[in-house]
Amino acid sequence: MELTDADLIARVLADDDQHAFGELVRRHQSSVRGLLRQLTRTDMALADDLAQETFIRAYKNIRSFRGEARFSTWLYRIAYNCFREDARRRKELVGVDEDQWQAKQDPHTADPGLRHDLMHALSLLPLHERTAVVLCCQNGLSHDEAARVLDIPLGTVKTNVLRGREKLKHTLAAWAPN
Amino acid sequence: MNAMIDDETLDRQLCEAAPYIDDDGFTDRVMANLPAVRREPQWLRAMIVLGLAFLGSGVAYVIGGGHVVREGITQLADFPIWLLLVFAFGCGLVVGAFAVIFAIRKTPEVRDLTRLDF
Repeated sequence: MELTDADLIARVLADDDQHAFGELVRRHQSSVRGLLRQLTRTDMALADDLAQETFIRAYKNIRSFRGEARFSTWLYRIAYNCFREDARRRKELVGVDEDQWQAKQDPHTADPGLRHDLMHALSLLPLHERTAVVLCCQNGLSHDEAARVLDIPLGTVKTNVLRGREKLKHTLAAWAPN
Repeated sequence: MNAMIDDETLDRQLCEAAPYIDDDGFTDRVMANLPAVRREPQWLRAMIVLGLAFLGSGVAYVIGGGHVVREGITQLADFPIWLLLVFAFGCGLVVGAFAVIFAIRKTPEVRDLTRLDF
């Protein structure tokens, strides 16, 4: 019988069971690292550092997880906070921001193949739209869950998803082979 | 320019474009960086409980002047043997029940079984 996330969390809470927490990390590492790779624009080393920080924070604060949301949603929230804090630090240090990065990108340098086109098109979206699309369309969160992760109003999430989708469709339609 | 795809197709393609990321030692790195569990040793807990029990007994003996214990032993000696056996058996049952409850609470596998939904 495979234990649920709730069972594993209960073990961590009751006995500080690090093996149970390890199982939680194994289950969720792919989606958390995937989200952070999207947010950091495929900077895998940075994404993995942030993912590691995410799980360590989750372990330290697991007593504050009340089980009202899914564990994965809670992890996404921590991951997004880690990313924001890191982005703020980097902006202060080197003065690089999203607009500068976007201005440097040429949409026609995309790799061949739909998958690469799609991921590249996704990386061209502004951060708020990219994050909403990744959470809702790629990771299957509801708009309500995404609003909780991002700590923004529900209507804003819906607008960001809508705009992000439209831009992706436009970009893909323009790139697609005739 | 090609016709634009619908939302459902786009979402499906987005999911397919995000492959499963192999663990590749990631979990081990996280586990190696977790803060150590801070827990006082079990023997220390046992010693504290035992010490408090002895202290409490000593205080009770001193306050009672010693005669309470002597009278208690004398009264017990007057009891019929079958009553003492029943008393000992009852005490064993109570201690055993507490031991079982404690074992269930401390054993994750057993605890998870008790949480099954029927």
